[in-house]
Amino acid sequence: MRKVYLILMLAFQLTVFAQNKEVLYNFTAIPQSSLVNPGADVSYKFYFGVPVLSGISANLGSSSFSAYDLFAKNGVDFNDKVRNIVNNSSSKDKAQANQQLEIFSGGFRVGGKDSQSYVSFGVYQEFDFLAYVPKDEAILALDGNRDHIGESFNLGDINLRAEVLSVFHVGYHKKLNEKLVLGGRAKIYSSGANATSTKNSGYIYTGQMAGTPNLYTQIISSNLELKTSGIAAFTKDEYDGSIPKDVVHNTFFNGSLGLGFDAGLTYYIKENLQLTASVVDLGFIRQSKDIQTLTYKGEYKYDGVNPNFDSTNQPKNVFDEFDKAIPRDTLYNKYTTWRPTKFYSSIQYSFGESRSDDECNCKGKVTRKYVNAVGAQLFAMSMPVEPFVALTAFYKRNIFEKLDFKATYTVDQYSDKNIGLGLSGTLGKLNMYLLVNNVLEYKDVSKANSIAFQFGFNFVFQNSED
Amino acid sequence: MKIAPTKRIFKVLFLSILFISCSSDLDFDQLKDLKLEPVIVANLAYFDVAANKFVDNGMEQQIPFDIQNFDVFKDQYFRDNLAKAEFNFELENTINRAFTLNVLILNDNNQILQTIRLAIPAYSGTSNVVKYPTEVFENQRLDLLKQSTKIGFVVIMAPGPPLNENSVGSLKLRSSATAYMVIQ
Repeated sequence: MRKVYLILMLAFQLTVFAQNKEVLYNFTAIPQSSLVNPGADVSYKFYFGVPVLSGISANLGSSSFSAYDLFAKNGVDFNDKVRNIVNNSSSKDKAQANQQLEIFSGGFRVGGKDSQSYVSFGVYQEFDFLAYVPKDEAILALDGNRDHIGESFNLGDINLRAEVLSVFHVGYHKKLNEKLVLGGRAKIYSSGANATSTKNSGYIYTGQMAGTPNLYTQIISSNLELKTSGIAAFTKDEYDGSIPKDVVHNTFFNGSLGLGFDAGLTYYIKENLQLTASVVDLGFIRQSKDIQTLTYKGEYKYDGVNPNFDSTNQPKNVFDEFDKAIPRDTLYNKYTTWRPTKFYSSIQYSFGESRSDDECNCKGKVTRKYVNAVGAQLFAMSMPVEPFVALTAFYKRNIFEKLDFKATYTVDQYSDKNIGLGLSGTLGKLNMYLLVNNVLEYKDVSKANSIAFQFGFNFVFQNSED
Repeated sequence: MKIAPTKRIFKVLFLSILFISCSSDLDFDQLKDLKLEPVIVANLAYFDVAANKFVDNGMEQQIPFDIQNFDVFKDQYFRDNLAKAEFNFELENTINRAFTLNVLILNDNNQILQTIRLAIPAYSGTSNVVKYPTEVFENQRLDLLKQSTKIGFVVIMAPGPPLNENSVGSLKLRSSATAYMVIQ
C-alpha cells in the first residue's frame, strides 16, 4: 500500500528539482554523462544502451510544501492545511517535475585504434512541468476580497508551462590532447504537447477611495494568455480517441519541431586538476501543430446596478458588459518556446594513485589513475521568474576497477541538505548505474520537498576487449 | 572474483532503496474535504439625485421609479454556491425634505419578491447620513433573492416646505453586497 501511495505521490506532488543532475554530471564511468556535458572525458570503443532501460530519470520537487503537508493523515482539517501552504508560499515558489526516458542510445569511436574521437546518438522522451504557486489567486479563492480591501490580487502569479517532447540527438567529442576534450551535440526536438502561460499580468482590485460616489472601487485588469500546441484537439466535443496514445504518436511522429545544441569541455589544468563546463539545451521549439491561444485581455470597472431616474430606461447587463470589456479570444498563431537552458561547471582535484589491478596496464601508455576525487560543481537553469542556481560539493571514489562511487552535497534555494549518492559498476560488458539524490528524505518520502533518481543499463565495450 | 562484490553492492543498494524509503500514511481522500469559503464584497448600487430633479417647470414632482437588470443569479454556479448574502445601504440627505427609498427585488415577471424600506429625515443643517441595519439573506429569504433578476428603486418624497429650481442639496445612496460563498 505504501508503494501505491508513493506512486500517487509522485503523480500528485508537484515538485521542484530544477533538472540538476548533480550526481550524473562528470560521472564519466557512465556514458550518459555526456548528455549533461558533451565534452565529458568519456571513452569507449562502442556502447549501446539497453533499449528503454538505458536512462530513466525523474525529478520531482516543490519548494514550499511536501505531500505530507497536504495529505498527512494527522487529523488536521484539510482546508487548514491548504491555507497553511498558501500562507507559507510565495509566488516565487514553484512545483516542478521532469522525467526522461531513453528510447535508445549508443556511441562509437571514430577513426583508428588510437583515435580519441567519439560519436554518440540517441532518442529520449522528456516530460517537463513547471508551475509557480498562484498565491494571490489562491488567497482570493480562500478568503474572497472582503478582508483584502485596498489590495491588488496579481494575475501575473498565474505562471506555468508543461511539455511532452522527444529529442533526437547526435553528439561528437574529441580529446584534442592530454589536456583538452571538446564536445558538442545537436538536437532535434519534437514537441507532442505544449502549454505555456508564463507572460500573464493584470490585477483584481477592490478599494475604498474617499471622494468617489460608490462604496468600492472595483477593477479587473486582465492580460491573461494561454498558448497550447497539440492539445486543442482533445478539448473538442467530437474527440473520441485516446489522449495518451495520441500524445505519444504526436511526440514522436507529428510534433512541433525545434532545434537545439549542447556544448561542453573538459580541461586538465594539471594532471590531477580538472575543469569542466557545459551548456545544455540551448534551443527552441517552433510550436506549429494544432495550436491555439486563449486570451482574456481588457479592463472592467464594476460600479453596481445604478438607477438614473430618467424616464428613458436603459437597463444594463453586467455579464454582457464584462464579456465585452474582457473578451475571451481564440487565436491560432504559431509561437516559439525556448527550452530551459542548463549550465554546468565543475572543478575537480584528484588524489591517491590507484593500486592498479593491472591486467592490462600493459599498453605502453602509462596514465596515472587516481582513486579519489573531490570538487565543486555549479548548476544554473533559465526559468520564467528567476534562474535556478545550485552549488554542489562532491567526492568520487573508484572502489574497484569497475565500480565507481560518487557522493554529492548540494545547496540550492530549496534545500541545504541534499545528499546524493551514485554508483556505477560494470559486470562483464554490462554497465549499470543508479543515482539518487536527497537520500536523507527517503526515510519519509512523503515529507520530501524534492526527490530525484536515475538509473540505466548499457553495454560498454572498451579497447581492452579487442 | 572482482565481480562478486560489485554485484553484492548493487543488490544491497537497490534493496536498501526499497526498504529505506518509507512514507508516512497519506490520505488523498482528503481532497474531497476541500471547502472554499470566500467572502466577496461588491458595489450594489449608488445614485446622487439633486434637489432640482424633483422640480419640473417650477412644479414640484416625484421622480419616476427606475428598474435595473440584476442578473448575477443567472449564473448557476454562483446561485448554487451562495450560502448567504448581505446588503448594506447608506443614505445621505441634504435636501430639507424627508424621503423614503423602496428598494424592490423583482423577478422576471416584474413581481415584487421583497421590498426594503429605507427612510431618512429632512436635512436640518447637520450631518444627515443614515446607515441602515444589514439586510441578511438566508434560507427562504435567500431563495427568494436567488429568483431575482431586477432591482427597482422608488424614491418617495414626504410632504414639506416646497422645492423650486434653485433648491440645494441632494439625496445620495451608497450600497454594497456581501456574498458568502461555500464551494465544495
